[in-house]
Amino acid sequence: MNPKFVLYFAWYYGFYVIKRGPSYLLASLSLPLSLLFMVTIFTHGTLIAFAIAGGPIAIVAANSINGAADAAFFRIQIRIQDLYVATSLTSQDYMFALSMSYLVFSLPGIVLYAILGAYFKVFTLSSALPIIGLLILLTLAISNLSFIIAGLLKHIRNVWGITAILSIIMTVLPPTFYPFYYLPRGVIYILSVSPVTPAAVLFQGILFPKAVGMYSSVQLPMFIILIVETLVLIFLGRRFIRWRE
Amino acid sequence: MIEIKGVSKRYDRHLYVLKGVNATLKERVTTIIGRNGAGKTTLVRILSTQLFPTSGTAEIEGLDILKDTKKVREVISSIPQESQLIGILSPLEQMQLYLMARGFSSSQAKRESEYALDELEMYEFRNAPSDTLSGGMKRKVFVAMALAAKSPVIFLDEPTTGLDPLSRIEVWSAIKRLSSKVILTTHYMEEAQELSNEVLVIDQGNIITHGTVKSLLSTFDGKMRAEKLEGREFDIKIANVSIKYIDVNEVDEFVRKGYDIKRINLDDIFLSKGVMLES
Ligand SMILES: Nc1ncnc2c1ncn2[C@@H]1O[C@H](COP(=O)(O)OP(=O)(O)OP(=O)(O)O)[C@@H](O)[C@H]1O
Ligand SMILES: [Mg+2]
Repeated sequence: MNPKFVLYFAWYYGFYVIKRGPSYLLASLSLPLSLLFMVTIFTHGTLIAFAIAGGPIAIVAANSINGAADAAFFRIQIRIQDLYVATSLTSQDYMFALSMSYLVFSLPGIVLYAILGAYFKVFTLSSALPIIGLLILLTLAISNLSFIIAGLLKHIRNVWGITAILSIIMTVLPPTFYPFYYLPRGVIYILSVSPVTPAAVLFQGILFPKAVGMYSSVQLPMFIILIVETLVLIFLGRRFIRWRE
Repeated sequence: MIEIKGVSKRYDRHLYVLKGVNATLKERVTTIIGRNGAGKTTLVRILSTQLFPTSGTAEIEGLDILKDTKKVREVISSIPQESQLIGILSPLEQMQLYLMARGFSSSQAKRESEYALDELEMYEFRNAPSDTLSGGMKRKVFVAMALAAKSPVIFLDEPTTGLDPLSRIEVWSAIKRLSSKVILTTHYMEEAQELSNEVLVIDQGNIITHGTVKSLLSTFDGKMRAEKLEGREFDIKIANVSIKYIDVNEVDEFVRKGYDIKRINLDDIFLSKGVMLES
């Protein structure tokens, strides 16, 4: 492990993507904010808390999947990955650094939602810790999925199409912006092929214990699914990143 | 010392691009030359543990590139031919990251980076977003990374491509001052001659000559090169340039025939092997 590298890389890269490419940041906020608006209108405000809770998940998931573009760009186009292969840095360090940069890049959005959530009394101080833990897990799971995609690609062009499709499927279909218990139980399990689903279910379990009430029996299986998926994706990410070709 | 032992490489189902390369590189600076597509980058990437050979192996300072990968990576640094800077980060930031990946502390990384950038006259651009640098300046940042890393063995794949003549001299003098073993590829014959004692010539995946500059040139002892556009006498003809190797005592005669007379240099090793360098 090279935590110093991970920290510096995550900060430099994540921060400068925000500073020197702010349009990218706004783009990552446009989907969750539009959905927040729509869900609030359509439900006459009754589901606003759910739509706010879904914001950070959608942001983290979308930024992590879009990270496939960064990883592919670094590997295929500007060949920065090659530079790091011939050092004592391990592929895990490299991937972890990229993942954390995606999280840094998600920070402004998370802060925005934290403010919204505090104002509408969705987030409380006691829920902060488990929520941050979930967001880190989700970042790891999805960014490793993006490393798999980046490793499989031969041409950089495909990455934009694939991530565009995946980020919509993965953030809008799962119960990110609506209560998971609106879905039949079987469908929840089917949708949990995307790690966003267990993360969203757990989020709602933490934030809305009263509303979730009798449906809380899926929480434990969802937690196990999220952990297993994250571990499997990390394992596969290492396989597919093509560290030494 | 680097020992290359029967290294072959085939990408996917393509043809072999390296065909059992064997060589022992003993000198401090070794230059690999060869035409585009000869296999130089492939060989360098295999030696610097970025690419697996299809067969064969190599030892770097006694460490096997396949068995002792971790240790090899501690003693080498390698600047790929095609790497580009991350546009939104500055040269200093990227050099710092590179050195920290190699285990430097952040302050040590900063200090060494600044020093190396200064050595290549790049200090004033250290904090600029890399996007705003010229092509040659970007290349120099990578060379600076290798200089700053100070590893015992350094691979530089075309370090001076795109550099202006002055910048090339800066890079050369920095390489000369190093105590590390350096393996570099280049298309500039004068660079090979200026920097290294040992030259490895690759063509179509095979080594066609290998030796010290002096020994390679010794086959031309007492010879000169005579060149003329559409000359009637020639040993080799490249496009419409006729080239003939003549004895020193034939010089007057060939001058009268309108030939230009040149001193022998590494180009001639290339030319005489029937290989032409496109530079
Ligand atoms: N990733 C790859 N997949 C398939 N073929 C490749 C790949 N990389 C290189 N090649 C082929 O291998 C051969 C050698 O390429 P290499 O890059 O080693 O040449 P080189 O000597 O470095 O050339 P140059 O002077 O242009 O840099 C070429 O024929 C090239 O087409
Ligand atoms: Mg090359």
